[in-house]
Amino acid sequence: MLDELVQELKSKFPNAQVQLHNPPEGVGSSSIEITPQSLREVCFYLRDQSPLKFQVLQVISGIDYVDYLEVCYMLANFDLNRSYEMILKVKLSDRVNPSLDSVSDIWPAANWQERECYDMLGVVFKNHPDFRRILCPDDWEGFPLRKDYVAAKFYNGMQVYPDHKMNLEERSYIIHSKSQAEELQKKSLAKGL
Amino acid sequence: MIKENDKQHEHLDHHHDEEEVMEDYEVGTKPESLRSELLTLNMGPQHPATHGVLRIEIKTDSEIVAEAIPHIGYLHRCMEKHSENLDYRGIIPFVDRMDYLASISMEVGYALTVEKMLGTEVPARATFIRTLVSELQRIASHLVAFGTYALDLGAFTPFLYAFDQREKILRFFEEISGARLLYNYVWIGGVWHDITEGQIEFLRDFLDEFEKELDEYHVLVTSNSIFKDRTKDVAIIDLKTCFEYGATGPVLRGAGYRWDLRKIQPYLLYNQLEFDIPVGGDHPQVGGVVGDCLSRYYVRMCEMRESVKIIRQLIEKIPAGPIMGKVPKIIKLPKGEIYMRTECPRGELGYHLVSDGGKEPYRLKVKSPCFTHVSILPKIGPGLMIADFVAAVGSIDIVLGEVDR
Amino acid sequence: MKTSLIQESSTSDVSRKDKEETSPFVQYFRNIFNAVSSTIKGMSITLNYVLTRKPTSIEYPEVREVLPANARMRLYNDALNCIACNQCAMACPVDCIYITSYPRPKDLEVPKTEDGTPKRQVLVQYTIDTSLCCYCGLCTTVCPTECITHSHDYEFAQYTVGQFKYDYTDEDIIAWRDRILGQKNK
Repeated sequence: MLDELVQELKSKFPNAQVQLHNPPEGVGSSSIEITPQSLREVCFYLRDQSPLKFQVLQVISGIDYVDYLEVCYMLANFDLNRSYEMILKVKLSDRVNPSLDSVSDIWPAANWQERECYDMLGVVFKNHPDFRRILCPDDWEGFPLRKDYVAAKFYNGMQVYPDHKMNLEERSYIIHSKSQAEELQKKSLAKGL
Repeated sequence: MIKENDKQHEHLDHHHDEEEVMEDYEVGTKPESLRSELLTLNMGPQHPATHGVLRIEIKTDSEIVAEAIPHIGYLHRCMEKHSENLDYRGIIPFVDRMDYLASISMEVGYALTVEKMLGTEVPARATFIRTLVSELQRIASHLVAFGTYALDLGAFTPFLYAFDQREKILRFFEEISGARLLYNYVWIGGVWHDITEGQIEFLRDFLDEFEKELDEYHVLVTSNSIFKDRTKDVAIIDLKTCFEYGATGPVLRGAGYRWDLRKIQPYLLYNQLEFDIPVGGDHPQVGGVVGDCLSRYYVRMCEMRESVKIIRQLIEKIPAGPIMGKVPKIIKLPKGEIYMRTECPRGELGYHLVSDGGKEPYRLKVKSPCFTHVSILPKIGPGLMIADFVAAVGSIDIVLGEVDR
Repeated sequence: MKTSLIQESSTSDVSRKDKEETSPFVQYFRNIFNAVSSTIKGMSITLNYVLTRKPTSIEYPEVREVLPANARMRLYNDALNCIACNQCAMACPVDCIYITSYPRPKDLEVPKTEDGTPKRQVLVQYTIDTSLCCYCGLCTTVCPTECITHSHDYEFAQYTVGQFKYDYTDEDIIAWRDRILGQKNK
């Protein structure tokens, strides 16, 4: 099914650089990759004119590969006698200011999904009707799901990782000196351990 | 001190000229010239015993909602980031805690996703036990939905009756897995503990009693005319809205569409079992229109009956055998990605798992059904009265652990 | 202006005679009859519960429920049988187990645990932070000597969060050994 879809898209949208990615080790789902600029026209086609009508957008998931960001759209068909889903991928090579067109007028489900993708990964969606963070507080700094994310030490005056909760004494990377180690060993041996 | 600061705040005082005020209150003035504005009301984030930490900012025009803006994120624990540092077995307790009222469904979805990538064979007895436990969890979750929905609308009795029946299911779960709510029971490759003959006998007695209880709930709640008046024709989510917003589960079935992943893309043992899919509009004698709160509620009640039918068929046929398949000590998935969805009591749950060949997933994204359902509220809210809005929020059955993850 | 904002809704009850045109007068009394009769039917079920059913509440703390054998309550590590292999600390998804151990001095004889495994390490500190523990049971499944188990203690409220760290090498906690290991036999 995906092969025919790829052929159709290649013929209708020649500058979308449609590629089919099969799973590298044989197990898993295949996905179709297009360029970010052709996202909207391909999505309109997939929803309205393609014989495999994808009426429903299920989820938008963003992944941070260290060189680039990837945004995956899971589309599904909800016809009663056949049902399938597909993964549509877009690669964004600009990690500093990634931006993409919003598809929330094509599928209103994309509204909240895109807000979450922005909140977690920092991808800016243009022409989004209600663009702000959804899960993290509105004044949070940083994008948590990026691989190089380091949480801020203080948030609104509160320490994010307070010292008394970090169990610093109990963690074994506090290295005892040789005399301390021998003393502790003697105590344990006396208890019969 | 006070006198000095007086001048600073002068710009905040609203000085009305005498003439302006008199104009507004002249006799015979048209309603349009009276100044009115929308009142912003906060529903939450604390609720009495239901819903979880959801804050809905409602802008009302006297009693009618003009705008409803949900704010979520109060229970956000960033499970997706945690799962990038945990091995595949250690993610199961985290996955439990997403939808804490239907933990088994979360675990089954995750275990099936990992097993599909790994290619393990799950023994037959384990698959039977997984299906049995999934359907029991569906009954337990719908009982909470029923009880808390009636509580939202002011009925205090059905809540405790539903929880009384649910206690028996939770007691069964405690005997097989060790915990009442967050089980960590469905593991990759099988299940953790086995079930004994005595527990199956207990299930038989429970199912007989439960069917009679269901009839009582219908007399108590469904045919009560106050309940009917509050839920009939309220907050109609039609099929087009469902497709646009990606609603699934009882919300889509309440809109009249016979869509259930257990029949359309069967997983576990659902292709060998006989059961129906109840849909809004199947029983017109209940009243209301297709897609309103009453039909969503009635779909859940009928689903409980179908689950009882499924469990009865399963109990007859459980085979003997091992409960755990062959799984390597350190689980490493091949490179690639997979997206798999299953039907949990609140809708379709999807897992998008990306693996780079290591011990931990590279990315685990969860498509949670309640997240999409809460996004429908800004569409159906406007036009409802506040009491109807409460009924609408209760009828879509959200659990905030799943919305926020 | 305001009435147009309300969603169109009908409040008439669906009944068999709905197909005919019922006058509002008749409908008014029918509504009253339906409301009263459905409420009475519901109340009869509640009355049935009051008169015929036994209460299902267990009067805690005078009566306590008996927990099933594999109930997952507070953890207990039997330090005398622990070989400090670190498997539980690695399996824990929330990293709440902290273990410190040193190799046994060569001149001492190597004692054995109850099932015969030699204890080559001296366990100096074995702390579980019970406030972080999620009671999943993964540590109990990977222990090779089955020294860490779930006890049936669920009443262990403390005044401060710091008091939740239990060091299982303390003498006071080793003294619980007989009580806890005997819980599951009852």
